[in-house]
Amino acid sequence: MLEDLLTGPVTSGGAHTELRAQTTESVKVSVVSGNLIANAGGTAGGVCARVYKNGSWGFSSCADYDADSVRAVLKEARENGEFLDGKLNKGKAPLPEMKPYITDAPAAAPILPRKLYIDYAMALDAHIAKTYPKLSGRRVIVTGEKFEKLLCASNGTHAHTVAPRVYVYVFLSADTKDGETLELFDVLDGGSGYFPDYFTDPAQYYEKIDSLYNELMDKTEGIFPEAGTADVIMAPSLSGMLAHEAVGHTVEADLVIGGSVAGHNLGKEVASPLVNMVDFAHTALGKPCPLPVYVDDEGTACADEVLIKDGILVGYMNNLESAQRFDMAPRGNARAFAYSDEPLIRMRNTAVLPGKDKLEDMIASIDHGYLLTRTGNGQADTTGEFMFGVNMGYEIKNGKLGRALRDTTISGVAFEMLKTVSMVSDDLVWESSGYCGKKQPMPVGIGGPAVKCKVSIGGQ
Amino acid sequence: MKDLKEIASYTLEALTRAGADQAQCTVARGRTKELNIDGGEISLMRTLLDNQVSMKAIKDGKKGTAAINKFDKAAIDQAAAECIEAAQAGVADDAVTIAALTTNAEFKVGADGEDMDAFYDRITEFLDTVNKEYPKIILEQVISDYSESDSVFMNTNGVCHRVQRGGYYFESMFSAHEGERATSFNSYGSQFSDLSRPIIDVGMQRKLLEQSQQELNAKKFEGKFTGKLLVSPGCLGDFINMALDNFISDTSIIDGTSPWKNALGEKVADGKLTVSMVPLDPRMSGGERITDDGYVSENYDIIKDGVLRDFGLSEYAARKTGNKRAPNTSGCMAIAPGDTPIAEIIKGLDRAILVCRFSGGQPAVNGDFSGVAKNSFLIENGEIKHAVTETMISGNLAAMLNNIPAISKETVEDGSSSLPYALFDGITVSG
Repeated sequence: MLEDLLTGPVTSGGAHTELRAQTTESVKVSVVSGNLIANAGGTAGGVCARVYKNGSWGFSSCADYDADSVRAVLKEARENGEFLDGKLNKGKAPLPEMKPYITDAPAAAPILPRKLYIDYAMALDAHIAKTYPKLSGRRVIVTGEKFEKLLCASNGTHAHTVAPRVYVYVFLSADTKDGETLELFDVLDGGSGYFPDYFTDPAQYYEKIDSLYNELMDKTEGIFPEAGTADVIMAPSLSGMLAHEAVGHTVEADLVIGGSVAGHNLGKEVASPLVNMVDFAHTALGKPCPLPVYVDDEGTACADEVLIKDGILVGYMNNLESAQRFDMAPRGNARAFAYSDEPLIRMRNTAVLPGKDKLEDMIASIDHGYLLTRTGNGQADTTGEFMFGVNMGYEIKNGKLGRALRDTTISGVAFEMLKTVSMVSDDLVWESSGYCGKKQPMPVGIGGPAVKCKVSIGGQ
Repeated sequence: MKDLKEIASYTLEALTRAGADQAQCTVARGRTKELNIDGGEISLMRTLLDNQVSMKAIKDGKKGTAAINKFDKAAIDQAAAECIEAAQAGVADDAVTIAALTTNAEFKVGADGEDMDAFYDRITEFLDTVNKEYPKIILEQVISDYSESDSVFMNTNGVCHRVQRGGYYFESMFSAHEGERATSFNSYGSQFSDLSRPIIDVGMQRKLLEQSQQELNAKKFEGKFTGKLLVSPGCLGDFINMALDNFISDTSIIDGTSPWKNALGEKVADGKLTVSMVPLDPRMSGGERITDDGYVSENYDIIKDGVLRDFGLSEYAARKTGNKRAPNTSGCMAIAPGDTPIAEIIKGLDRAILVCRFSGGQPAVNGDFSGVAKNSFLIENGEIKHAVTETMISGNLAAMLNNIPAISKETVEDGSSSLPYALFDGITVSG
């Protein structure tokens, strides 16, 4: 556990100041067709300071963590802030100091020996090799990481947090009858916690691997969707991606200042009244979020941020500086990834809220369209234009599922596409295995129900 | 401990003491001074000091790795013990190894020390020029830094290399705005070893700012055609990298999913295409000198006149599959120019899309891809007509590389690549 060397040095003196010590541990094991390709682990840590000076920020970090380095980073951060203030002379008012968040060190476990990860990955790989001889390739990846942070801020926050997470991924490849290789992957399980919290006996996931294999076999006989605009049902993994990529980024206040489409849409109708969207801090609909965040790296206690209410854009995600600019309440969205990173406005657990429809009714309502079930990645623009890769799906003909789809892409403009939402399923499914990318990576949760809408879909 | 060679020697001793049969390590010290612009305003100055000790041990034919960022003996001893424990937990594999001793080398590359005052002046000059000459542009974010590092690679075969490196990096992300109209963001990154030129004049920066303003008058692309795609230099690098990731990465060659797995020495692309990795090229700013595996870097061709010459594999993947390792691991890509000026290529096109950024999903293993053509323009009757939005493009990377009617005579350099425009045929474009 991190020793507390931070209490004492932080005083505001009229300038918002943060001191943060952090250690990040990680493990990655990768088995490719029986070969242990990656057997890697590491620990990186240090201390950083950030100081606000009349509208300019100074930051400094150091890999060493002792009393001298704490003093040194604080001094350097102040000097960097003063250097910019001297050049720019913005003359902005001090930042508001929020109510302090104080918490002691939580119970934390070591990230565990590498053998546990390797044995599990090799056992899963052996099962797949034995059970599915028709596969042309297979990969099993096991990852674990743990973020431990000790934060002291000039608002009086003194927070010691530990956030571990683990995941197991399986990738399967098979050839079409024309000899083309197709791939499909799934995150078997994982989330906030340690390896034994999820993974004990590989057999508990055999059924899930079997489903993945069957979908891949469907895909090898699949078709390309017809290019153009189509009625689709986005499964939860896609609607969660939509919440994050297509809407979430545009309502991050730093991107609003940078000119995002949300800047002139606050208070306006941007979606069907069926659409509600929230960036949850730690608890959603009475249950813990996949990656709970209780205090951000500016020392602000975390609370939920409602982004879209009944189709109306009602909020942005802020840090202290942008909240002051937009006269909004900061709700703890300023997050830093590594000890050497400054806090940026980031999402936490962003979701489209469930509606009242049943998936089978949604499928039955479409004469000609597609059910899109798996996505690999997504990107969005500050204009709200988005793109998701679609790795798996099925055509819908006369209200019934038909042939599987090959890899394709969907795209649209978020605030136009959301107005076409006509049905929303009554469940909420979370995913949290990926990273959001924005100068720094960041673990985030994304969630949603199935959503019926119109999007542009790529063909061949 | 402060001396990097002393730390590296200690790390090898710790690994050997812990039971390694063979061991290697990289020990590095880095310092970065960074300046950020957010929403058009200079916002943040950062100073970052970091250390790195990454280690690899082989015991009984099994490999383990570990990494820390501390230089004290206790931390190194603990990491070495974890590295050996990881190796023991692994699987014996004849392909794991460490670099053989050839000639040890020391290099000093890139900028020799920072000049932050001059760099600050270049950045404010960039801001002023954008505000004056491109008034509709908002700089959403700029990240600029001077970074220097001192790095030692050492292994138990007696290999000992040292690389000292310094250089400036500048990346801008921007879009154009007029009232409530806004364009897609675009971005451009460049690296350089000196501050002799205004940053705005490096590579494609001016061109992309100019195009961004033109995109305010973009029209939605309607319809569908299968035909030509003219790919800008930056975007060409992205497409070629997607193809290389799919077709010649360690993973795709080891698990045999690459359609090029048996194509060494065979034609995989149009004869006009030559793709090389050239960290030693003077156009590259502070390019790699030592590979990830610990060999002195050399330039090499991946595709020469359309023929696949090298898979670009790590030493492990090379030994695993009976191929040779890549002569460098830099990613410093150069694509040979063609013989047609870009203006003539455009003049000869009846209908095509000029794509300057591609936002797409991970291509399928067989190379099928689809995505959105961002910051892109419609070409008709030999002229660039107007910018387009919501334009999907799809095709197959392997087929696309075999269908290249022209490559431009001009290339663009950004300090880590040298790339021309390239024209591809057989791409599906739909609105």
